[in-house]
Amino acid sequence: MADGTSVPVGVIGAPRRVARKTSSLKRFTQQRSTIAFMLALPLILLVACFVIYPALYAIYLSMLNKKMTAFVGLGNFAFLLKRHTFQLVIFQSCLFAVTAVVMKAFLGFVLAHLMHNIPGKNQKIWRGLLLVPWVIPLALSTLTWWWMFDPSYSAFNWVLNQFGFANVPWLGVGWIARFCTITVNVWYGTPFFMIMYLAALKSVPEQLYEAASIDGANAVQKLFFVTLPMMRNIIAITVLFSLIVTFADFDIVRILTAGGPQDMTHVFATYAFQVGIQSGDIPLGAADSLFMFPILAFAAFFVLRGVTRRTKEIAT
Amino acid sequence: MTTPTLKTSRRRALKLGAAAVALPLVHIRTGRAAGKVSIAFWDHWVPSGNAVMQKQVEAWAAKNQVEVQADFITSVGSKNILTIAAEAQARTGHDVQAFPSWEVHNHSDMIEPIDDVMKTLTGQYGGVNQVCEYLAKIKGHWMGVPTSSGTQYKGPCGRISVLKDKAGLDVVAMYPAAPGHTAASDAWTWDALLKAAEACAAANMTFGMGLGQTSDSVDCIGSLFAAYGAELVDKDGNVTVKSDNVRKVLEYGQKLVKVLPADAVSYDDASNNRALISGQSALIWNPPSAWAVAKRDNPKVAEDCWSFPGCAGPAGRFTPYLPYFWGVWSFSQNKTAAKELITFLMQRNNVEARCTEVVGYDVPPFDSMLDFKVWEDVEPPKGTVYNYPIRPFHNAKPHIAALPAPPDIAVQIYNRGTMPTMLAKLKSGSSIDEVIAWASDELEGFTR
Amino acid sequence: MSATTMGDAAKRAAAHSHKHSLHRQRLWALWGSYIALGVFVVIFLVPPFYTLMTSLKSSAEISAQTGSPWLVRHPTLDNFWYLITYPNFQTYYLNSIMVTIVTVSVSMVISVLAAFSLSRMGFWGSQALATGVFLTYLVPASLLFIPLFQIVGWLGLINNLWCLALLYPTLAVPFCTWIMIGYFSSIPKELDEAALIDGAGYLQMLWKIFIPVAMPGIIAATIFAFTVSWGAFLYPLAYLYTSNQMVLTVGIISDLIRGDVFQWGKIMAACLLASLPPIVIYAFLMDYYVAGLTAGATKG
Repeated sequence: MADGTSVPVGVIGAPRRVARKTSSLKRFTQQRSTIAFMLALPLILLVACFVIYPALYAIYLSMLNKKMTAFVGLGNFAFLLKRHTFQLVIFQSCLFAVTAVVMKAFLGFVLAHLMHNIPGKNQKIWRGLLLVPWVIPLALSTLTWWWMFDPSYSAFNWVLNQFGFANVPWLGVGWIARFCTITVNVWYGTPFFMIMYLAALKSVPEQLYEAASIDGANAVQKLFFVTLPMMRNIIAITVLFSLIVTFADFDIVRILTAGGPQDMTHVFATYAFQVGIQSGDIPLGAADSLFMFPILAFAAFFVLRGVTRRTKEIAT
Repeated sequence: MTTPTLKTSRRRALKLGAAAVALPLVHIRTGRAAGKVSIAFWDHWVPSGNAVMQKQVEAWAAKNQVEVQADFITSVGSKNILTIAAEAQARTGHDVQAFPSWEVHNHSDMIEPIDDVMKTLTGQYGGVNQVCEYLAKIKGHWMGVPTSSGTQYKGPCGRISVLKDKAGLDVVAMYPAAPGHTAASDAWTWDALLKAAEACAAANMTFGMGLGQTSDSVDCIGSLFAAYGAELVDKDGNVTVKSDNVRKVLEYGQKLVKVLPADAVSYDDASNNRALISGQSALIWNPPSAWAVAKRDNPKVAEDCWSFPGCAGPAGRFTPYLPYFWGVWSFSQNKTAAKELITFLMQRNNVEARCTEVVGYDVPPFDSMLDFKVWEDVEPPKGTVYNYPIRPFHNAKPHIAALPAPPDIAVQIYNRGTMPTMLAKLKSGSSIDEVIAWASDELEGFTR
Repeated sequence: MSATTMGDAAKRAAAHSHKHSLHRQRLWALWGSYIALGVFVVIFLVPPFYTLMTSLKSSAEISAQTGSPWLVRHPTLDNFWYLITYPNFQTYYLNSIMVTIVTVSVSMVISVLAAFSLSRMGFWGSQALATGVFLTYLVPASLLFIPLFQIVGWLGLINNLWCLALLYPTLAVPFCTWIMIGYFSSIPKELDEAALIDGAGYLQMLWKIFIPVAMPGIIAATIFAFTVSWGAFLYPLAYLYTSNQMVLTVGIISDLIRGDVFQWGKIMAACLLASLPPIVIYAFLMDYYVAGLTAGATKG
């Protein structure tokens, strides 16, 4: 924007009016951005006080020794990386989050399509039924799962016994327990994906499909060349959101297995809880949780970069 | 039309915002009035256990003109430990906290020494056992008073008829509900347990001994390791897992895990209770809470239960013991009142009244208090918990898993369930050498 | 495509038969969809069904561990009755409702204002903030709850349920803001230009034009905030410890599990009662939810 001082001196009449106009425009934009900032201030304060400040404090904590009396720099991180148990935790966290998110994204996609296929007036009840897992408070529904998995007299094992199979120690054997924690997460999270994708599907203009039909595209082609490109942003954002939440999951693993058997289901959050709270080593617990950050930031960077780029493409 | 409405709406918005901010601030406590003390108790699983505590606190409060706030905090989901951590970090909260076993050590730099109270109490009632000393006497100072509320033994609780019929083990004759040593009790060794477990497992009545990572599993397996003198880390903090004793206990463990239930590795603190109450298990290691629930839900099983001390091994007989401590935060505003209240609550008549209310579940820390009538009276069957507290003629020692390792290492061995996990690895097919290698790596991580 | 080589009639015939087969295809797809959805519904509803069955059992029936666990032999409403008349449970319920109402209101005010500012007005750094607000989730509650002890303690809000009204918005606001930014961006620019020319201020514009138009988006965001604050577990577990302050999630677990004794019938009944408000809300506002997300999320 032109600023008032650069107005040529020689001419008197019109330019002055221009100058006044530009300066009022400037004042206007200034005022506008002040208001804008004020409106965003509650958000900034909230995030600064209850997210950024504690996060920085967590970083500080993670650099102290166990008794919190001395500064040890990155010692806790180096220590953790050398521990076999922690390497297992990293592996499991990634396995848990990636598998669960892929499953949720896939099932959510399928469900959204199925839902989109049926007439609108019937959708309501089906959507309602499918959203139930997402609606029950997770800590409580996980308790139900935990009890169904109970090895001695569990609901699942009873069914297996009826068909002549032996009891399965659901939460007692590493890989089965991992499978169980992932299952519960998928059960809980799929409805959210479904609803997001359904919303996205509804926003794809019908004309695009008609155009594709006229061009002789089959269902698969329509999926790949119409639906998916149109849904790319929402898929990316939903996956990112879910990835973050799943990575940080505490409720499911804590309630189902508390990290067992033999640490084979520990994820960052539950391990941090065990180390930091139960064994009284808060700095190590903080260091453990902080490992989540770079992994997620990496994913977020690529997802959000893609989203912004595509949004710009659409805009121009 | 536009400007005024805009103004009012903005002002209203500001007001709303201010109200929203002020709302929580109203609750800020602005310093305590003199003569106010707050205390956090362990939330007893017998609801009337809280009521009797509340009554005693109120009696003291009325007598001393002190306002007392008593809160009962559950140990479910480690809620009490979270609360303790919260109060330590925030440097505010109750004046007195109930610290479960390891928490005194974890927060010792923020707890007020309480030697004066311990001096009074030990003067009245004699000494406390070495586990209490190990957990709460730090650098020569008592940092917490061992209490009865929540303190428990976790010796075996067996089915009288099943053990007799299937394994030929007469636990009532071995540990009758009467004072006096029996010759049969000397034969109650880990080998005897193994034989009985084999016999009962053959009859589809497995011993519900868990190999999970929760405290029931850790305590039980911890006393097995102690009985073989198998220390993972010695009292000076050296990793001693590559010792003959550890190898011996693992050799024994290899036989034991074969007869434990298939799901033993995923046992939590409720699994063994369920196994006993449903009548599918001949023996579990647990305080009488399992028996008490059976009394309500499956009385036939309850009538058949008998509690007795842990098994003996080459290094002695150890019964798992899990004490609670009452400690005063160093940021407490009313330490004098807090200490007086603790002293009052630990008086024999008060301890006994509480103990009676909770059918003998609570174990007082002083040996002189182990003669309460309640353990003789509780039924069915009469005397079922007579041998629940350690009696002098048991020749048993109370034990907490990982003792005598330095507590800051021991707490990790305990909470990470290293010992039961070693057996769990045996159960899933690892060799003894592999287990020892795994454990020594794990333990090195604890000694940082 | 190859149409150029075809005669007109042939083309029409081909199109006709194509349409016919398309119709049959659609019918198949429709029935297939119903069947597949049915299968999913059954799988998804297994745990809630089991919850319901267990909530109707007495504790003796549960601990007997005989017969099918999926059926009730002696149905009883005792568990529900016990909870409804249990003062602690009433307190949890009330606390949950209060905290949720305040949280949702606070979250919505914050995120609508911020979304309006970020999507329509802008200031130095607003672009970065719009992208960055989503990154708040990168620092999860399971990391924050330890350092937050200090802040909460400093505010004097340890064991005070209103601390949740400050902390829950951090879980809801970023997502709500993102939905609202998307929704506001979908409103044509001409609308605010017209309003500005008419001399309306920004707040007025927000209040009179944007909020009414963006109602579906606001409802969607509100429902999200509600779901999050109703079901959150870790913060109340960490900061509340007396029963007069607890909310449902943590109250149920710490009250109905006593040591190693689980009162399953009551826990399950409590779980159902606690799920009731969200189920009712979703049942009534579902259409808005989907509509709001449709317009909001896809533009974001």
